[in-house]
Amino acid sequence: MGNVGAVFMFEWKRSLTLPRMAWWLVLAGFPVFIIGVIRFSINASMIENKPPDPALREVVIHHPEVRDAGKEQKLRDPAPRELWIGFLFALGPMLVTMLGTMLWVTPALSAELERRSWVYLSVRPNGGTAVLVGKYLAAVTWVIPPVLLGLAIAVPLSGASNGWQIWWTMARLVLLSTPAYAAVYLLLGTIMPRRGMVLAVGYSLLFELVISFVPAVINKLTVHHRLQALLLQWCELDIPPEFMSGAISLIGNTPPWQHVAILLLYPPILVTASIGILRACEFSSSAESDV
Amino acid sequence: MIELQNVTKLYGKVIGVNDFTLKLGAGAYGLLGPNGSGKSTLLNLITGQLRPTLGSVRVMGESPRNNAALFRRLGYCPGSEGLYSSVSAFEWVKYLQQLQGKTAADAGVAAANALDLVGMTPSMHRSISSYSRGMRQRTKLAQAIAHDPDILILDEPFSGLDPVGRHELTRVLLDWIDLGKSLLFASHVLHEIESITQSFLLICGGRLLASGTAEDVHAMMVGLPNEVALRCSNPHALASLMLREQVVDSASIVDDTVTVATKQPARLYEQLPRWLKNSGIEVTEMHSADESLQALFNSLMKMHRGEL
Repeated sequence: MGNVGAVFMFEWKRSLTLPRMAWWLVLAGFPVFIIGVIRFSINASMIENKPPDPALREVVIHHPEVRDAGKEQKLRDPAPRELWIGFLFALGPMLVTMLGTMLWVTPALSAELERRSWVYLSVRPNGGTAVLVGKYLAAVTWVIPPVLLGLAIAVPLSGASNGWQIWWTMARLVLLSTPAYAAVYLLLGTIMPRRGMVLAVGYSLLFELVISFVPAVINKLTVHHRLQALLLQWCELDIPPEFMSGAISLIGNTPPWQHVAILLLYPPILVTASIGILRACEFSSSAESDV
Repeated sequence: MIELQNVTKLYGKVIGVNDFTLKLGAGAYGLLGPNGSGKSTLLNLITGQLRPTLGSVRVMGESPRNNAALFRRLGYCPGSEGLYSSVSAFEWVKYLQQLQGKTAADAGVAAANALDLVGMTPSMHRSISSYSRGMRQRTKLAQAIAHDPDILILDEPFSGLDPVGRHELTRVLLDWIDLGKSLLFASHVLHEIESITQSFLLICGGRLLASGTAEDVHAMMVGLPNEVALRCSNPHALASLMLREQVVDSASIVDDTVTVATKQPARLYEQLPRWLKNSGIEVTEMHSADESLQALFNSLMKMHRGEL
């Protein structure tokens, strides 16, 4: 464990450079920017379509019939809470988490091979394992804070009701998705170090963004499917009955604890598999021309 | 210490090491071979980074593949550079010592001591990106010796060092050997190895061509024709003279250079000044092709194939 800690600390120290810090800020700022743009567009649209007299608008909003029908919030804000949750979910636990972990973890091995520094690490006691696990942990702990920070700003900016509950749900999803995605990308980067990034992008587009929406057994293999199911069960979403059957066919009736357990199993299983591949394969910098 | 039994390593259809059998006891050895001869592949096999396609590799009686216990006793300085440019030598060596299993404090002490040993103390807190090639080479050596290994394996350690650096590194390695530690040192330059050890392993084409002391290697060469090239004012006359004196076995002329093969190089070198003086032929350049390492390897390869 000591040498894992050494890699973890070393990688964190190396990340404290201006370009890496700028990238950290980009990750944090991305959901804020997108939600801000959407909020601005909706506000602009409301200004264009609002009743001419603000006092009259308030009277309409507070009319008992409107209040009893639960339309008060919708009149105040035409974007429903579910829409904001969808955006926040797509940006936080999905996109930013995927992007952050993909760029950090996929090249964990290939960066060392390309730099030809792998040889110095691999001749240490369990050096390869320590490098993989240390880099994995560094990536996970590096990606989570900007996503949580971004969501902490983006949620109130969206103006969705029960903002604190939304943030807490998103935070739990981020805490589950970041280690899971990082483990997936670590495995992909170890399976094919020289083409790891291509493999990771292909996997993300095909599996996480397409197959996860296919109502078949295969979508259960994706992280996205688990996160979607948890989102639906943890957020009190106001889904119209006509859409509810479709949502259930997509996510199934699996209880939340099972989704959580499966997401928690991703890291140990996939990181162990990565270590196994690392120990079985040869990653010498010797090329055929360099015998 | 190191034992290879019929080891062959293939990279697809390219052969890196070919049916290599070797048994080395504790001590210092120089692995000598031209570029592309298989030295790096052999060292990668010994350090467990490569798995032999055929045969077995044992270091201290154990397989070096994923062998944590062995890696605690092994120091390796590879031929490739591969340093992190954004950190200092101290941080990098300390990091590698932590990977060796030391605590941060112990690793810091070990790193500082090793960098001091290779003369890097004044620059060890500067970023590696600002180092000269020689400084990088010393840093590489420091990471290999910092954990005080029992076996030190070096791949072209003198590469990029200036004469002072070479002298200092030679001293460090000789001190290392004096401590009773083992050393395997690969180079394509004969005198680099001669300055450290007299035990040679000659490798070419992925094969072990010869092993022994420098004297052993020279003894093997006795009776083999030496090639001598002479650039002169009248190559035909000089060739004719040497053939007439029966000191050379063959002669070939290209432009103003005559190249002769002789089994009596000592007699040739002794008589040549007198012949030149008597004949009035002017020699402007003379060199023995067999002084080059490649020629030695060519001869050994021919012997290996039974052509000589």
